[in-house]
Amino acid sequence: MALWVQISPGSGDPIYVQIVEQIGEAIAMGELAAGDKLPSVRKLAAKLVINPNTVVRAYRVLEQAGLVNTKTGSGTFIGGPKLRSGDEADINILAERMDTLLAQGLNLGLEARDLIAMFKGRIGRFVNKKTSGKKK
Amino acid sequence: MTEMVLETDGLTKYYGNKLALDHLDLKIPQGCICGFVGRNGAGKTTAIKLMLGLLKPTAGSSRLLGCDSQELTAESRQRIGYVTEGHRLFNWMTINELEQFQRAFFPGQWDDQLFADMIEYFSLPKNKKIKHFSNGQRAQVSLALTLAPNPELLVMDDPTLGLDAAIRRQFLEGMIELIMRRNRTVFFSSHILGDVERVADIIVVIDQGILRANCSLERFRAAVKKVIFSFKDSAPPKVDIDGLLNCKRSKGELELTLVGIDDEKIAEWAQSAGAEKYRIVKMNLEDQFIEFTASSGRRRLFKWERT
Repeated sequence: MALWVQISPGSGDPIYVQIVEQIGEAIAMGELAAGDKLPSVRKLAAKLVINPNTVVRAYRVLEQAGLVNTKTGSGTFIGGPKLRSGDEADINILAERMDTLLAQGLNLGLEARDLIAMFKGRIGRFVNKKTSGKKK
Repeated sequence: MTEMVLETDGLTKYYGNKLALDHLDLKIPQGCICGFVGRNGAGKTTAIKLMLGLLKPTAGSSRLLGCDSQELTAESRQRIGYVTEGHRLFNWMTINELEQFQRAFFPGQWDDQLFADMIEYFSLPKNKKIKHFSNGQRAQVSLALTLAPNPELLVMDDPTLGLDAAIRRQFLEGMIELIMRRNRTVFFSSHILGDVERVADIIVVIDQGILRANCSLERFRAAVKKVIFSFKDSAPPKVDIDGLLNCKRSKGELELTLVGIDDEKIAEWAQSAGAEKYRIVKMNLEDQFIEFTASSGRRRLFKWERT
C-alpha cells in the first residue's frame, strides 16, 4: 500500500482532519482507486503514533462523505464515485474555500481569465492522472 | 456502563495552609489514553501521588481500578504501572538485576519477551550498572520495566521531561502499543501538547489546583476558539458573553477567545454588537491551552460532559 500520510500535531487542524484531507487528495489524484484497501486502524495508528480512535474517527468521516466503505471483518475500502453524495452543505463549504483562493489570485494581480486557465490546468492533473491510472 | 478505572471524589490537598488541589472530581473510563495537563505547580504531581496512595488527602478520596487509593492492596498494585518524574531506579543494579527484582512483584504476568525486545531495540547494555546510564537510557529502562507486566492502568507523571524527541516518541509508541491490547488505560501528565494531541483521547486540564476541563480532546479542540471582530465606525461594545476567556481591544477591532460557544452564537453576537465582519481563527492545541489557562475567569469551572 503506497499510502503516504504525514501528520503534524500542533497545526490548527485536528489530526483526524489531516488524515481525511490527505486520503481525500490521494483519491482525487487517482493514487487510491476504487476497491483499494486502506491500512487497518491499528496499523495506521501504530505507524503514525497516534491514538487508534483518531484513525477510527477519520475513517468514519471518509465513510460519511461516501469516499470509503467499511466491510465488517475485512477492512476499509475506497468506494466508487457513485457512492459520493455531493451534499449541499459540503458544496457550500467548497464554494467558500474557492472564494479564498480567488481572492488571493486577484490580490496577486491575476485576471479572471488567468485564474480560469490556471484552474483548467490544475484540474487536468487530477482528471488525466485518474484515467491514465485506470488503464494500468 | 463503561467501567471507571480512575475516580476521584472531592480530592483535596493542603500543604500547610497552601491549597495544592481543590476538590478534584474525575472519572476516567477504561480503554482511553488521558492526557493530564496544567502549568508548572498546577497540582498534577500532587494529584497523581494522591491517586496512587503516596500522599494522604486533606479531604476527599480516590479509587484506582475500584480500590481506594489509600488502601491499595499488593494485588491491585500489580495491575497498575507507575512511572515517576525523573525515572528513579536502583543505581547499583544492572538491567538484568533490575528485571529479576521487578519481575518478583508480578508473578505470572511478566512478559520476558517484550522486555528483552525493548532492551534490544533500545540497544541498552545489559551488564552495565544503571548509574552509568544517561537520562535517556534510564527512561528507556523505566519504560521497559513498566510495560513488561502488561499493566491494566498505566499512570505516568511527566515521563518525557527533558528527553529528546526520539525517546519521547518511543514513550508514545509504548502507550499506543499498550492501549491496543484489550481494556488497557493510560493516564499521563505532560507539558508537550503536541504529544498529548497525538495520543490522547481525553484531555484533563487543571490550573492552580482546580479542574478546568475534562472532555474528549476533539471536543476541547472544537470548543476553544479565537474570533476577531472588526468595527467600522462604532467603538467595540462591552463584551458580556458567557464563555469569554480573554478579550483584547484595539482600534476598530476586538479579539475574543471563547470557550464552548458555537458558530451560530458568534454570528448572532456579531450582529447584535454591530460588527462589520468577523473571522474565526484556527488555533493549535498549545495556543488553546495557553489562552485557556491564562484566562481571567480562573475561578469559573468549565467541566463538560464527555461525548
